[in-house]
Amino acid sequence: MSIPLDTSGPSMKDYATETLCTWCDNCGDYGIWTAIKQALTGLKLHPWQILLCFDVGCHGNTSDKITAYTFHGLHGRVIPFAAGAKLANPRVPVMAFGGDGASFSEGVGHLVHAIRSNYPIVFVLHNNANYGLTTGQASALTWQGQSMNSSPNGIPERTLPSMDFVFSLEPTFVARSFSGNIPQMTEIFKVAIGHRGFAFVDILQSCPTYNKFATHKYLLEHCKPVGPDHDTSDFKKARALAVDTSKHIATGLLYQNKDVPSYYEQLKSRQGLKTTAVEEVKRIDVGEWMKEFV
Amino acid sequence: MEEVLRKLRASPILGNIYITAVVWALLGQGADALKELVREQFGHKGEEIIRKNYEVIDEAVAYISRQEAVHPLALMKPDVKWRNHLYLTGSQAMGLGIIHAGCRLYASYPMTPASPLLTYIADMQNKTGMVIKQAEDEITAAQVVSGAMLMGTRAATATSGGGFDLMTETLSLNGLLENPFVVFLFQRPGPATGLPTWTAQGDLLLATGCAHGEFPRLVMAVSGSQDAFDLMPEAFNYAEEFQTVVIVLSDKQIAEGLSTQSPYDQKRAEIRRGKLITSPKALAKLTAADRYDPKAVDGLSPRWLPGTQAATFCSQGDEHDAEGKVNESGPNAAEQMEKRMAKVEALRKALPEPELYGSQNPEVLVVSWGSNRGPLSDVLKSDAFTGRKVSYLHYSYLWPLKTEKLMKLAKKAKKTVLVECNYQGQLGMLIAQECGLHFDHRILKYDGRPMFFDELFEQLTALLP
Repeated sequence: MSIPLDTSGPSMKDYATETLCTWCDNCGDYGIWTAIKQALTGLKLHPWQILLCFDVGCHGNTSDKITAYTFHGLHGRVIPFAAGAKLANPRVPVMAFGGDGASFSEGVGHLVHAIRSNYPIVFVLHNNANYGLTTGQASALTWQGQSMNSSPNGIPERTLPSMDFVFSLEPTFVARSFSGNIPQMTEIFKVAIGHRGFAFVDILQSCPTYNKFATHKYLLEHCKPVGPDHDTSDFKKARALAVDTSKHIATGLLYQNKDVPSYYEQLKSRQGLKTTAVEEVKRIDVGEWMKEFV
Repeated sequence: MEEVLRKLRASPILGNIYITAVVWALLGQGADALKELVREQFGHKGEEIIRKNYEVIDEAVAYISRQEAVHPLALMKPDVKWRNHLYLTGSQAMGLGIIHAGCRLYASYPMTPASPLLTYIADMQNKTGMVIKQAEDEITAAQVVSGAMLMGTRAATATSGGGFDLMTETLSLNGLLENPFVVFLFQRPGPATGLPTWTAQGDLLLATGCAHGEFPRLVMAVSGSQDAFDLMPEAFNYAEEFQTVVIVLSDKQIAEGLSTQSPYDQKRAEIRRGKLITSPKALAKLTAADRYDPKAVDGLSPRWLPGTQAATFCSQGDEHDAEGKVNESGPNAAEQMEKRMAKVEALRKALPEPELYGSQNPEVLVVSWGSNRGPLSDVLKSDAFTGRKVSYLHYSYLWPLKTEKLMKLAKKAKKTVLVECNYQGQLGMLIAQECGLHFDHRILKYDGRPMFFDELFEQLTALLP
């Protein structure tokens, strides 16, 4: 899918708003917010050319802090909304953003089927391993045993192995970064927007207020970008690298398969059509199809 | 019959073809034509099976010819006036109407009795070019449709009560986003799984009252194969004009019932998209604050689409200001609520009146909706009712409810009668709530069966003056 480019090019200023930020001091959302704007500017996309869709969570407050066509929806449901928007007009780059609470509990089914469907959208996981907006409850990705709001003894449930889970669904794009590494996030977002199908981008995000285990310092020490020799087409190695976080956490573009067509490309009903569903709204002659009932 | 089958060493299932052949012979039709049909249907099962079928047919025909007292009926000659008529289900009629209305994306999760619509639209996809998504659940279907509508196409979903319950949070979202949304709610008897393959009208109050918070919505209902087609473009028109949720009620009886239908008039449907801005000149003049402008007349503010070169805005699911920025101030919340709810009265004004069958000065006024229209109009057309000043007021548009015409007629009538396929008389409850009218008589049915001519004839005859 080609991305509409404009030679004049927008600047970071075009994406700015006067809305005040309400995130806590040192929240990872500041870094992610900056990287989104840098990536879009870097791709020379104008704010009117894109749709950014936000789930409900701390990250969702980005929705009115970027000048662009944005959407702020329901908790856990951002992926199918973004997919519907994209299928209606595949010319518009669509990014969806959701937290680990929404994406691995309330809306986990959507994530499963989005990977399976290979919708041509980017999904950015704001992974701070807790429900920040509702003041720090444990999510499925909170480390087991951590004392959290409403689970003072820690949670009995095992931590969901999110990367292994995602790889088990045979994704076509997996990347990971850390909210303190703005240049790396920027590059990953740019590549993800250019990906043919569903791009899963896991951003390990510091939450200074509620996450006392995977802190900014911890992530800074443990995250290690993959080297230039990393083969992004090797599924097995990428999976092993992504899952094993015992020594360090591998970041960067971990895996990409460019050969799998996107959901839209697979639709036989749309083969050969140059228009989008948005452009096709008109009264449609059903005379021929009525005859099938005569 | 069992004897015959035993004699021919035919399996019990061939009893079906034996009975068919008996009826066929009684109708005076030749065995060859039936054999041809049997070959068409079962030919793929092999010659041996066909031969067995033929033997059974021959036995059945011989049996009828031996009955001296039985004279085959003379069938009427086919009347050419029916030559172009369609024979289709309500689901197929709705499907044709949905396609005709310019709907380009359809997302749904299978659920009886909404599945036949999904099947028909999906089967048509290579002809229509529509995007069809069988979703992983009803929430997904509703969200996919919401995203597609926000982007600017026409999209729809369908389900039955249980699936609709799952969609309601998304309906509420569209109310706040002021995003057009169309859902077809096929009723079957609840609660819970209830009678999953039977019919009901028990979800009217669900449609009018579902989903958290207050937001404008249109609830309408199809009644048969004609308006199953005609009302489809209107559902999308109102959704786009009023930028809100449209719930179209149908039921199992309509979904699977077959009708003979004159060809649909394809010149009648309008495509009205309300305040949708698409021209570059008009787009250039927009500011972000036009999107949710609280001063917009009737609450209807301009709408424009992601990807168009214009001022951008946030489609904001939190309470927001005119640009879609989160705003929790009291005055803003009140102003935006008033903006959205202004659409209710504007919509009420825009909707057509309920349709009256029969005298303008009725002595008995019958009020109903949905699939009851068929049997009710048949009763009123019957000899016993001609000239008896019994009239039927049919509601296609159920919310916001228009009551002026109803009140005028009710004042003239000596008796008012409510007919519904639910326990509580839900339209009656809405009418009482909106205009204080309480019906003198209620004919209610909640056993999963549709209203039948005979029972309506009997009960209404008893009410004749």
